[in-house]
Amino acid sequence: MKKLLHVVLGVVTSIGGFVEVGSISTSAQAGASFRFRLVWSLAVATVCLMFLIEMSGRLAAVSKHTLADAVRERFGVNFDVIPLSAEAVLDVLVLAAELGGVAIALHLMTGVPARWLVLPAAIAVWLLLWLGTFGMIENGLGLLGLVTLAFVVAAFRLGLPWREVGAGLVPSLPADHRASYGFMAVSILGATISPYMLNFYASGAVEEKWKESDLPMNRITAGIGMGFGSVVSFGVLAVAALTLQPAGIQVDGYEQAALTLVPAFGRWGVPVFAAALAVGCFGAALEVAVNLAFAMAQAFGWNWDKNQKPAEDARFSLVYTLAILIAVAPILAGVDPLRLTLVSMAITVMVLPFVVMPFLVLMNDEHYVGRHRNGRLGNAVVAFVVVMGFVLALVAVPLEIMGS
Amino acid sequence: MDLVRDVLDKQVRDRQGRKMGKVDGIVLELREDAPPRVAFLEIGPMTLARRLAPWLGRLAQAIEIGLDVGDGCPLRLTLAQAREIGIEVIVDIDAERTRAWAWEQWLGRNVIARIPGSGARS
Repeated sequence: MKKLLHVVLGVVTSIGGFVEVGSISTSAQAGASFRFRLVWSLAVATVCLMFLIEMSGRLAAVSKHTLADAVRERFGVNFDVIPLSAEAVLDVLVLAAELGGVAIALHLMTGVPARWLVLPAAIAVWLLLWLGTFGMIENGLGLLGLVTLAFVVAAFRLGLPWREVGAGLVPSLPADHRASYGFMAVSILGATISPYMLNFYASGAVEEKWKESDLPMNRITAGIGMGFGSVVSFGVLAVAALTLQPAGIQVDGYEQAALTLVPAFGRWGVPVFAAALAVGCFGAALEVAVNLAFAMAQAFGWNWDKNQKPAEDARFSLVYTLAILIAVAPILAGVDPLRLTLVSMAITVMVLPFVVMPFLVLMNDEHYVGRHRNGRLGNAVVAFVVVMGFVLALVAVPLEIMGS
Repeated sequence: MDLVRDVLDKQVRDRQGRKMGKVDGIVLELREDAPPRVAFLEIGPMTLARRLAPWLGRLAQAIEIGLDVGDGCPLRLTLAQAREIGIEVIVDIDAERTRAWAWEQWLGRNVIARIPGSGARS
């Protein structure tokens, strides 16, 4: 039973972290513009994420410390201000984008303007955290998350061209729109490898008191959980490739993305899309908000427990409350959630090296992980993410800011 | 023991394992004819802020005094109170008898308790 809960944690982290506004929109854009030519980017990002999630679980199980804990302790506060403030800014931006995503989903269902629907979305997120029921509904969220499999079902109904999918696993430059192709490849990486997932997952592991004997389970959880997320992302890409690309429709808003399920599900297409978007974004919003509180509490050594009454961990509760209040503002002011998503993915890519680099040191420090240090492969993957982050930040972010 | 590597910024827990904060600063006592020794380990936002920039430390102190959270002094522990120093520092005291949770309690009373559903006893 406990083992099952482990895997549930992985799948929940994955639904909240993988199947969210950033991944859905980038996957849809990638499929609509380049069919299956960017499948490799999704595959590379997924493998990197599996490795990073496994490491963050291993760090938690062996040292009983999360990434945010350990970075403060190992590198000191003068270093930690950089990743910590970067993560704070990023988390609030991502939270705004996710709340915007929920609002759009509600808009698709009701027709009420999205900017007003952000309020009920934000209140619901806050209430679940405030009343201490997030822990209870976490597993329910995992079940609800199965609705996102609708994309995969739709892809199969439409008939996947397996040969083309296979060819997409090898990077190949298209004849034209090369800049946009490179930019999409970057966006997929940025949307997939979300820093908040690492700390959220580790915090769950510490709360559940994982031990060294849980390490094999951790490996399976990271694999299955992130695998689940990537299959859904692939489903989004595939339905966009199969429905929008032949019609020459580009995705520049959620209205187009919502059409992707219509050929497979008819009049249920748009409601199913809205439900999947709502569940994914809502889960992500909960995770990001609580993760910011985790990160602050762990960096400063406060009590943290998402199931305690707010009166018992005042500082922790205050952090997520403020984060939600701030995140609501841009959406209420009328900022386009899709635009916010793009900006937050660009910032993710910039922040990534600062979050992941300390990881490389910690996962090789026997004070923290004892004999469970990283092997060469694990180190190579982390190093790859760091280098990629730097290159992407230098090349892609200016493009993203100018181009989009 | 390497003070900066092994003690500074480590998690501090009390004897019941409750989190008191991190070692935000270390105060050394300089002695004539003898090597310096550790006078105190400090915990508190003021000490932490001062390490980032002196003016931030003064600001944190002014806020703490202004809001009547504390008297403007950080919590000080001695090395002798430390029961164990590993990747965490375990001290042989009760957190609630110290000012470790001054901010926690102040925010709980003045902010959190005023929001419905916080679970605070009024």
